[in-house]
Amino acid sequence: MAPKSTSTSWDHQYNTLRREDLFRNPPTDHSAYPLLQQAVNPHIESFDALFADDGLLARGLADIGTRVFLDGDDRTPLESRNRLSVRYKSVHLQRSLLPPANKFATKREILPAECRERHVSYRGKLSAVLEYRINDEDPKEFVREIGLLPIMVKSSHCHLRGNSPAQLVARKEESEELGGYFIINGIEKIIRLLLMNRRNFPLAINRPSFTNRGPAYTPFGIILRSVRPDETSQTNVLHYLNDGNVTFRFSWRKNEYLVPVMMVLKALVETNDREIFEGLVGSPDSKGIQNTFLTDRVELLLRTYKTYGIYTMSQTRAYLGEKFRPVLGVPDNLSNYEVGTEFLRRIVLVHLGNINVTDEQDSDKFRLLLLMIRKLYALVAGDCAVDNPDAVQNQEILLGGFLYGQIIKERLDELISSGLRLGLREYFRKAPSRSFTSDEFTRDFPIKVFQKTNENVGNALEYFLSTGNLSSPSGLDLQQVSGFTVVAEKLNFLRFISHFRMVHRGSFFAQLKTTTVRKLLPESWGFLCPVHTPDGSPCGLLNHLAHKCKIMTESVDAATIPQLAAELGVVDTSSAATDESVVVMLNGRILGWCKPSESRRIADTFRYWKVEGSHGIPLQLEIGHVPASNGGSYPGIYMSAEPARMVRPTKYLPLEKEDFVGTLEQPYMSIACAEQEIVSGESTHVEFDPTNILSILANMTPFSDFNQSPRNMYQCQMGKQTMGTPATALAYRTDNKMYRLQTGQTPVVRSPLHNAYGFDNFPNGTNAVVAVISYTGYDMDDAMILNKSAHERGFGHGTIYKTKKYTLKDESRSKSTKNVTKLFGFAPGSTVKAWTQTMLDEDGLPHVGRAVQEGDVIFAYHTVSADYSGNLVNRDGVTKYEKYKDSEQAFIEEVRIIGSELGNEPAQTISIKFRIPRSPIIGDKFSSRHGQKGVCSQKWPAIDMPFSESGIQPDIIINPHAFPSRMTIGMFVESLAGKAGALHGLAQDSTPFRFDEDNPAADYFGHQLMKAGYNYHGNEPMYSGITGQELAADIYIGVVYYQRLRHMVNDKYQVRTTGPVVATTGQPIKGRKRGGGIRVGEMERDALLAHGTAFLLQDRLLNCSDYTPTWVCRKCGSFLSVQPTVTPFGGKKKVVNTVRCRNCARRLDQIPGVEVSKLKGEIWEDGQGNQWVGGEETTKVAVPGALKYLDVELAAMGVKLRYRVDSKDVIRKGRLIQKTPEGVGLNNKHLPALVGAEA
Amino acid sequence: MSREAYQIPTSQQGNAPGSGTNLSRTFDTEGATMNYICGDCGFKFALRRSDTIRCKECGCRILYKERTKRYEDNENTT
Repeated sequence: MAPKSTSTSWDHQYNTLRREDLFRNPPTDHSAYPLLQQAVNPHIESFDALFADDGLLARGLADIGTRVFLDGDDRTPLESRNRLSVRYKSVHLQRSLLPPANKFATKREILPAECRERHVSYRGKLSAVLEYRINDEDPKEFVREIGLLPIMVKSSHCHLRGNSPAQLVARKEESEELGGYFIINGIEKIIRLLLMNRRNFPLAINRPSFTNRGPAYTPFGIILRSVRPDETSQTNVLHYLNDGNVTFRFSWRKNEYLVPVMMVLKALVETNDREIFEGLVGSPDSKGIQNTFLTDRVELLLRTYKTYGIYTMSQTRAYLGEKFRPVLGVPDNLSNYEVGTEFLRRIVLVHLGNINVTDEQDSDKFRLLLLMIRKLYALVAGDCAVDNPDAVQNQEILLGGFLYGQIIKERLDELISSGLRLGLREYFRKAPSRSFTSDEFTRDFPIKVFQKTNENVGNALEYFLSTGNLSSPSGLDLQQVSGFTVVAEKLNFLRFISHFRMVHRGSFFAQLKTTTVRKLLPESWGFLCPVHTPDGSPCGLLNHLAHKCKIMTESVDAATIPQLAAELGVVDTSSAATDESVVVMLNGRILGWCKPSESRRIADTFRYWKVEGSHGIPLQLEIGHVPASNGGSYPGIYMSAEPARMVRPTKYLPLEKEDFVGTLEQPYMSIACAEQEIVSGESTHVEFDPTNILSILANMTPFSDFNQSPRNMYQCQMGKQTMGTPATALAYRTDNKMYRLQTGQTPVVRSPLHNAYGFDNFPNGTNAVVAVISYTGYDMDDAMILNKSAHERGFGHGTIYKTKKYTLKDESRSKSTKNVTKLFGFAPGSTVKAWTQTMLDEDGLPHVGRAVQEGDVIFAYHTVSADYSGNLVNRDGVTKYEKYKDSEQAFIEEVRIIGSELGNEPAQTISIKFRIPRSPIIGDKFSSRHGQKGVCSQKWPAIDMPFSESGIQPDIIINPHAFPSRMTIGMFVESLAGKAGALHGLAQDSTPFRFDEDNPAADYFGHQLMKAGYNYHGNEPMYSGITGQELAADIYIGVVYYQRLRHMVNDKYQVRTTGPVVATTGQPIKGRKRGGGIRVGEMERDALLAHGTAFLLQDRLLNCSDYTPTWVCRKCGSFLSVQPTVTPFGGKKKVVNTVRCRNCARRLDQIPGVEVSKLKGEIWEDGQGNQWVGGEETTKVAVPGALKYLDVELAAMGVKLRYRVDSKDVIRKGRLIQKTPEGVGLNNKHLPALVGAEA
Repeated sequence: MSREAYQIPTSQQGNAPGSGTNLSRTFDTEGATMNYICGDCGFKFALRRSDTIRCKECGCRILYKERTKRYEDNENTT
């Protein structure tokens, strides 16, 4: 019997046996959950696109082209200098393999699981095939190794590609391993999806900051982000100047340049003013000519350009070439004309031709530039509206793989331009007599020259992935330089999968004060989830894709479109009047123009053909028909077949077939949300399901349509913070921290998508019997009471796994010390204390399974050095220990000894996995799936819990006050459905939008409850667990799926009486980790004041903080002048018994005619042996340490503080008696205090 | 016997003082031989301290330490 193919269709039922079978026998054909893979596929496909034949990198290499170097110095004439031309032929990536130096391993491949376990990166060897020729000799090929490049897991260069679940399990992966991330130092990293401006589409922009460019600049502009075939982009901007002129702006290597647009136009094609005028305005018999606003400005545009006196195409190109020669980095042997051509190739509208640009392509560029100018004038005149760059309509997505490719391309470019130039310069500096044609050079090139360059491209990419920082000379046309990568945290599976569906607007917008970019716009419908965005600072900037939204990763074939368009009546002639002719564009290329009345017919015909699959029109083609309107968006038909677009499936009504709708076209279409909403003659499409607009996570909220919307947002946040099941291959994972719920269950109430995404493999919570009742008072303010017996049965029991890597090697980046200097284990001959002996095994590593407390040793090591025969010998006989530093008890779960890649090193690195059990305790956080979070306030004994007539007692009690203001009706419905499901043994379908006013959910589940003999409304009479009396009201009780959140008191509690303090002030230090205090801030102080709790206030602010008993002189009121006396009789004890004021005392040897017997007071001695008398009016006061610090700081600035210790010391009111100062300096005690503490 | 040289008798009589398991212990030069489990093929084999870390069968570079057979008193767990 042939094995049946694994079924991939799922309903909402439990499917217990089917899942059991899938789990025990992972399928050998394909995964049972294809949707999961599809969610991640954009990442993988974008990476695959790099290294395919004619992949993005191959196209990038073509764009880099040939680099030409000349030998000799600048003074020698060009003709006599030799040329060295170098170009890339191809770039190859190997799979992740062991280096050949390792002779021991039988399996050569390095699998991702090994990289995770060994805390290394998953990467393969990258090599480039280059070709060089000297002058016009025959080209020669050579190969360079350019480092180890991190490989995306499950990409075409990964060992896991195409593996069946059974194979994946055998390779220590999840059975549903998704890939799409990189492994860098054992950590899983993903490149974020970024929203960019839509490519090859002229955006009309009104941006006030444009006026900062110069005096005449206005806020109006047209931005066109032009994308080359290799997915690198170059933004071209047209600026409108208030005299009617237009400037062309671009950025090149992070610098901005402005060129008159006329110059670009004239350089592109051989043209004349009439052609430009008619290209902008229209033919003399068209309506455009009547637009005097336009004709005036075009006339001015043409006239002002006359001042340059450049007329022909070759003149203009030569002029541009001359100006831009230093910027472009072109070889000296190119003429100005050729440099000008190069300028147009590399910078101007590159999507229309950037390699071997033909005249036709230049003419395309010319025509598009005319259209952009036309749109700009229309924008200024108010004939067309601005385009919103924050709307998804004008956006596309920068995929991780594409960005990765851009960086690789730039690194490769750098290598053969500036890198090789430096290498050559260095070479010829050492041997100036040689030239490219000399024999020595032919021998030395390429090896010796390339050795001097930094050719480790792989390292640069690894740096990029591990830090997320982009170090690029060109900036890659991006608005940010950091934050490109994130760690794919496997806290639980929901969080993990969300990372791949996450779309960020760019960290540039995070700093923006305006909130317009964060708005939820109607254009996002079906593409970005309206619910799934975090609240707080990234709100609206960090969105998630709707679960049906796809991202195109390659161009679809639209070769037949231009021909078909021509057949449908698209012509070449046009006019500026949009009611006369509108543009037809494909991939940013103008196909022609048609009448506005015809544009709808053309668009509709194309759409019909595309859904039908005829005429060679691909299904994913976007046909953005912007109808002519009065001052609306600039009309036209904008078609796109390019990658990086968001598309989503809908049903096309005329054919009842699936159509893919893009972001640009959607706002101009009528898509009915449900079948019954179809308007005849208007609706062209209908949604397959209203839930298609929600993200994967938002779809997991049961009955989310019953909830107030912010509650669904909160659930999306909390679902990602749940202690759930991060993975099934837990034993092979070495994440820094992993949370695991021991008693996970499948929810009773769930939607079919829960099964389709296979979330039962990663349970995320527990079904709990929840009573909504105010029972003991311990459920106030979002607290919840946990049934103690439920807790004892394992409700919400969790575990934290922490993995720590310990290495004996120097972690410094330098390669200097490669020798082994330390080894694990006890030093031979050293004595080992018995208590450490019991903690460690004989190899100096901990016993697997042992409990460790704070301060326990976890491994032993000692230093070694090589003796004459190369054996490693310990010489000092000292054993050192590493201690366990966490305060919480943990168990040693796994000890891994990690060998080197070459298999030739003794143990230098170990990785220990600790298991920390965390049973729920008071203060731990739980939540339902409706944004209803609460903290466990008591574990209530089961005998005291209320019970129902059937003897059921709740696992959780929550307070009814949690509901009225939050309006989470979905939770009520879930409770009802869960109860009915539990009673009947059913799984309940909780898909939103399934019930309506005629068929209410409460009725559907109420009847199920009635059938089971329960109250229709879900209420039940209950009895007090304490008195046994029936409670006055019936209690709403049902089954709700509860999540345990990862926020636990054990990670949060902070308490101290004494502890470490800041040295300067004596106040407690900050931070829980270091045993610091928690701040009693201004508001807390106010509360204590208001309560009149003075003693408490003093205790908090002084006694438990910087309470400092201090000596002060009552007479001069100073802290700084007091000092302890020193007894002349020595003595070891340093007891301060007397403190004297040095300021008020007089030195004996400075009193003229001193007579010791007549002196008042005792004579005392300071540390220098000087004798003093007086200064006895010192006393001890308690002040804040910060006050003394302030005093010292002020003294340093020459400000004296004077303290009145007693009311006796109050300065007499009235006029100050001013005495003449005796001198500035030591004895200025007669000066009045500049600043007193009298206030 | 002088007072300084006197040692309190321990339960394990007969062991030379200082060398036994009572208070402290010294290790020989080679280090202990311990068993480890290969991370790939599951082969169990003995390894000494200064041996290179790789499986003797398949050359795998990750070795797991065996779970202890010692009785672990984990009664005082929270």
